[in-house]
Amino acid sequence: MRGAVLRYRVMAYITGVLIIVVIFVGIPLQVAANNKFIVNYVGTVHGWLYIVYVIFAYLLARKLRMRTWPTVLLLLAGTIPVLTFVVERWMTRTYIAPALAGDATTAAQHPVGR
Amino acid sequence: METPDTAPAAEGDAVPLVSGQVVPPGSALPAPEPPEADGAAREPAGRAWRFVYRPRWVAWHLFAFTAALGMLWLGYWQYHRALSGNGLSWAYTFEWPLFAGFALVFWARTLRDEYRQRRHGGLTETELARRAAAAISLATLPKGAMLPAGELPAGMTLRELQLTVRAAQEAAYDDADDPELARYNAHLAKLNTRERRKALGAGKERIL
Repeated sequence: MRGAVLRYRVMAYITGVLIIVVIFVGIPLQVAANNKFIVNYVGTVHGWLYIVYVIFAYLLARKLRMRTWPTVLLLLAGTIPVLTFVVERWMTRTYIAPALAGDATTAAQHPVGR
Repeated sequence: METPDTAPAAEGDAVPLVSGQVVPPGSALPAPEPPEADGAAREPAGRAWRFVYRPRWVAWHLFAFTAALGMLWLGYWQYHRALSGNGLSWAYTFEWPLFAGFALVFWARTLRDEYRQRRHGGLTETELARRAAAAISLATLPKGAMLPAGELPAGMTLRELQLTVRAAQEAAYDDADDPELARYNAHLAKLNTRERRKALGAGKERIL
């Protein structure tokens, strides 16, 4: 569980930063200075890292037994600037923190009875 | 697909196994659910699939397929851009169909999860068997036994454990020394089986 959370968080921060760079630095540069470098290269990198984000976020959503629409929101969050961070905080509050708290009671797996 | 409702019992607390026992102060027990909520989650195979026609599920099918088709169309568009000399578009030409595929896989898994939830409370067959085995070993505990926190079988909530143990204890109750009670219990068991068969149609027996 902790591993899945960590993988999700790392990818959330990476895709979150990259999309902000693309939208708020790359696109103004493209429009104002006709400099396509950031949009082309950072954009492509974001595109491929977003795939990794989707995979890790989806695996975490399954572990947390999230419902369908929250999962969709979680997956789409990697494509909308700033929303990635908002969703990461919402995930922590709503799903991750309760699940980690519950883990303490379910983690140990001893033969019960006797 | 709900958030796990495991009771956040503090470390070192003891949890009661059977109802009517002492609850240590400070341990948060989940509120007992009405029994029909449990029964309603399990349906026979044919009827369990009917949820796919419900309006909210139809909306989900439409959304998933529109999204997948849209992504395929974007991939096609990038393919044309790539052919007309935009080298970067080659990456997106392959990326969009990948996303479309993922959308469809995700959609299919939501259907499978919902089906499993309705068929047998979201548990796989091996999970059901493992729980039955745990329940049988727990049923041999003396009445009033307390289980230290941290010893719940993995993935099982306290409420589920209590229900399982109660069912197993009822099944394993030794009435051999009281013939009248034994007859009465046999009669109850027969009635129970008949009702279950009726409720399940052709009826596969389930464990709980």
